[in-house]
Amino acid sequence: MEEKPIATRRVVIKHHALVRLAHWANVPLLLGLITSGLSIYWASPVHEHARNPVTGSTDYVADAGVGISRALPGNVADPAAWVYDRFGLGTFRLAPALRLHWLFAYLFMAVGLLYALGLALGCGYKALLPRRSDPADALAMVRYYLGVVPAKLLRRPWPHPPVRSKYNALQRSAYLAVPLLGLLAVASGWAMHKPVQLEWLGRLFVDYEGARIVHFWTLVAVAAFVIPHVVLVIADGWDTFRSMVTGSSYRLGERHGRG
Amino acid sequence: MGADEPPRVVELPLSKVRARTRRDFLYLSAGALVAAGGFWWLLPDETRQHHLTPAMRDWLDSLEARLGADHARRETFLNRVLTFDDDVAEALYSPTRSVRTYTKSQITPLKNSYNGATPKPDYLPSWSLTLSGLASGRVERFTITNLLGRFARHDQVTRLCCVEGWSAIAWWGGLRFADLLRAHPPASGARWAKLGSLVNLDAAGGPDPYYVSIDLPTARHSQTLLATHLSGETLPVEHGAPLRLLAPMKLELKNIKAITSIAYSVEEPADYWNERGYSRYDGL
Repeated sequence: MEEKPIATRRVVIKHHALVRLAHWANVPLLLGLITSGLSIYWASPVHEHARNPVTGSTDYVADAGVGISRALPGNVADPAAWVYDRFGLGTFRLAPALRLHWLFAYLFMAVGLLYALGLALGCGYKALLPRRSDPADALAMVRYYLGVVPAKLLRRPWPHPPVRSKYNALQRSAYLAVPLLGLLAVASGWAMHKPVQLEWLGRLFVDYEGARIVHFWTLVAVAAFVIPHVVLVIADGWDTFRSMVTGSSYRLGERHGRG
Repeated sequence: MGADEPPRVVELPLSKVRARTRRDFLYLSAGALVAAGGFWWLLPDETRQHHLTPAMRDWLDSLEARLGADHARRETFLNRVLTFDDDVAEALYSPTRSVRTYTKSQITPLKNSYNGATPKPDYLPSWSLTLSGLASGRVERFTITNLLGRFARHDQVTRLCCVEGWSAIAWWGGLRFADLLRAHPPASGARWAKLGSLVNLDAAGGPDPYYVSIDLPTARHSQTLLATHLSGETLPVEHGAPLRLLAPMKLELKNIKAITSIAYSVEEPADYWNERGYSRYDGL
């Protein structure tokens, strides 16, 4: 370490302030949208089966609650409501759930605009654009993740594939897919909410029922992203988390954060 | 790897890096506190009962009361959200935009959507429609024979969407609300219609009058019917015999069954489901 008149630190600028703001605002907003959304879903499930003669259920989500309750120790008061009570606002809450869903939906759209603005101002969109090398690199990343635990157990070296850009190919596809997923959720949401005045939007999803199906599956897809996203950020460490708070990373080498 | 952007490295005084990091983590903590507090404040009371311990709930309740974020304020705020969403719906509404129509082969099953008990058909022989709030100052009374004799019947196959999420494509027939409005114009300045049903019952089968507010631009839409027929036959009791509203640009809950009265007014009238926490414009 050489002597300097003022101590300095070299940092990598990673995320624009608006991108960080949007990222963290989405935590409570998605929680609100998913919990209120599940309570709305309960009122008329998108995916139904023929009425079960024993339980009277037509709803796969209620069935999942019954199954989970059976596997759990102790007695669950209302097994069919298990999923809705824990991941939603509960059953028989359509009116309060709708009000909250509109509130969070309007905020989500506003935050989406801030995110887009942040991507443009900070040029962060460049790191999200797909590249020709992505398919091969994504395969290398999948191979790496599949082997990382066995390699650790066998104490074998298992080098991370080289990444010479902000994101590896898997991250890039996920971080591009998630905002597009948000857009799809907003579009299918409006198509359901205003099927007459926004009929042109509804036609993108074939019809009203199509928009309902797509809207439900965007919830599943967001959940499918969030879980590995959080796990990988924890695995990758403090620098990655901090860079989404302060905007800069202290990792100057070629390997950037994951997660 | 092709065109890789070089990492944007900057050299900053350590003190500045530290101050920025401290500031940003303070923002994050403050934001997390506000978000968590706000989230709890917004939760319906019944949902709160399922979470945390009673002692923690009491502590949070008293904290909220001290901050002035009480129950009444939450209701006011969330009802304003509903009004905002209704205003958006009203701004999107176009009187000339027609509701998508389907072919008869696309018809889907329509369930009985009476929220309470389905009325017994005993009311049908003595049924009449009372029309008030008219420019003539009179109160008009119609039997179903009067209505069918005086107004042309229009048929349409449209989708009816319920607030719960289900929908049904059905073949409706009836007179245009617009034709009734032309034949018996409302008093000047009237902007609303209150449609009521004295036939409606609660779940136990007791009387539970139902009423909806309909803005006159919606009532005047060419696809807004006072329906008398379903699938080419006289409207059955479970779908609101002998006369129901069929406004496919509104949620199903506005499509009142077994209408017994229509009253025009200057001020927005009360609405059954709005009084139960739902929005009041309900434009689709």
